[in-house]
Amino acid sequence: MTALLLWPALIIVAPLLLGPLLVLGHESLKPFVGGRIGGDDAGALTLDNYAQIAAPEYARYFLDTFRISFISAGLAMVLGFPMAHFIARRAGPLMRRVLMGGLVGTLFLSIIVRVYAIAVSFGPLGPLSGFGRLFGIAPASPDGAELMVVLSLMNTTLPLVALTLVGTLQNINPRLEEAAMSLGAPRWKTFFQVTVAMSLPGILSAGIIAYAFCLSNLVVPMLVGRGFILFVSNLIYSRFSEVANFPGGAALSIVMMVVSVALFYGLLHLVRANWQEAGK
Amino acid sequence: MSDSHVNGRLLSKRMADALFEAAYLSLVTLFIAFSLIPVLVAIVLSFDARSFIGPFPPTAFSLRWYERFLADNYYQDGLVNSLIIATVATLVATVVGTLAAIALSRATFRGRALLQAALLSPLVVPNVVLGFGMLIFASRLGIIDGMTRLIMGHILITFPYVMRTTAASLVGIKASYYEAALSLGSPPWKALWQITLPLARTGIIAGAVFGFVTSFDNVGISIFLTDAFTFTLPVALLAQMRANLDLTIAALSVIFIVATVLLIVVLDRVAGLDVVVGRGVYGR
Repeated sequence: MTALLLWPALIIVAPLLLGPLLVLGHESLKPFVGGRIGGDDAGALTLDNYAQIAAPEYARYFLDTFRISFISAGLAMVLGFPMAHFIARRAGPLMRRVLMGGLVGTLFLSIIVRVYAIAVSFGPLGPLSGFGRLFGIAPASPDGAELMVVLSLMNTTLPLVALTLVGTLQNINPRLEEAAMSLGAPRWKTFFQVTVAMSLPGILSAGIIAYAFCLSNLVVPMLVGRGFILFVSNLIYSRFSEVANFPGGAALSIVMMVVSVALFYGLLHLVRANWQEAGK
Repeated sequence: MSDSHVNGRLLSKRMADALFEAAYLSLVTLFIAFSLIPVLVAIVLSFDARSFIGPFPPTAFSLRWYERFLADNYYQDGLVNSLIIATVATLVATVVGTLAAIALSRATFRGRALLQAALLSPLVVPNVVLGFGMLIFASRLGIIDGMTRLIMGHILITFPYVMRTTAASLVGIKASYYEAALSLGSPPWKALWQITLPLARTGIIAGAVFGFVTSFDNVGISIFLTDAFTFTLPVALLAQMRANLDLTIAALSVIFIVATVLLIVVLDRVAGLDVVVGRGVYGR
């Protein structure tokens, strides 16, 4: 019976997952000949496409992707945790329903709509254009583009982070916080030394999910990076759409996949190894 | 300890509490403002009467961008395609994903966890990688039809959502209910249909809704698989936004927002919003 139920997934999903990954691996080893679409089938297999990625100028794109995603996910955590705490601990039934509806709504709202909304609000003519100037960032500069990418990534990650953390906080006994305060601990100390400390595994898991989500984003840098900010996803897309260098794009894809999967499961494993209850 | 010393400590504790409370509430407010204001700006701009994107707020209002959207076949073709693809992909993923989740929740063989991780991996492998791989895979199989390729890609990304939420909702269901039905003489398929599936219903619905939304909004995979005649709405939107920052997109955004609000109300009615995170162990 069990095996019978599993077969549809193995017949339908497994080929759709394994097929593309295997052909990517194969394609990445083909020599690239300029002017044609796809690798040269007649040529001998080569590691040239990977050697090209190892060149130092590519390091910049990887570093930009990691750095900007880290900042965005980090800021989303800073804003998301208090919000999640508010929903889990303070909001009454109606408030909770409204806020949860808002979060799920933002999560469901098309990413393009949200990036567009950020672009028109924080853009040069938008009502919030002064925000960048607070930090001395001119809208037309590369830093301005980076700020827009960070704000857009944050905006798209926030509901995901907050919802995950609501789940975490709900599984921590609120009596512990009450106990700390009734013993005379100030609110801030209770918050950091009891609530935050107890939810650390959940915070780290949520952070890793948010980070992975930012790392693989294609739309945000494409729409608001203005060519100054390119993520690895954008490089892969341009290999496909602009130069038709399929072997090069395939090699980049394989590297990106290995890095993302290793980072995701590696970090998650680290968290789980140190805190048993993490990731539940 | 003197009285004044105790009073002093109490006072500084109160001040620290007040400061903390202010910082806490400002972060909560900042969260809401940062999520809400851009959306409100887009809504207001969609009614802008000017023919260009000018300084905010608009000086006059009109429905011109909505009329322009309604007159544009490009978006409507994209919308129809997106609806077809998301519906087909979600239907397939819901059936296959629910069955797989039930199978895995009972399986005892070695490698169960590995199989589960592998089936959920489209959540972790970047969309762009899956999209590019699917493009080359389809071309080697000789599939050049955009619709077929898009549906293949979308089944792959909707499936993990259904499987994950169904698996989560199965955790709370005791296997003894199903076994009781069997011991009373019910055939396995009937016990599954009449006992297990109804109990897991909210999880399946939530998974299907999440899967549908993910498919409908997907760009990372779709952008590789569209052809000249078959494109999805987000891909059409993206192309338009890169070409010109026209306010038709603001009008379309408002339609998206209304549709999202309706979806949330329906989800709240049918499954309850708490299905997303649950009520927790100490649920109030």
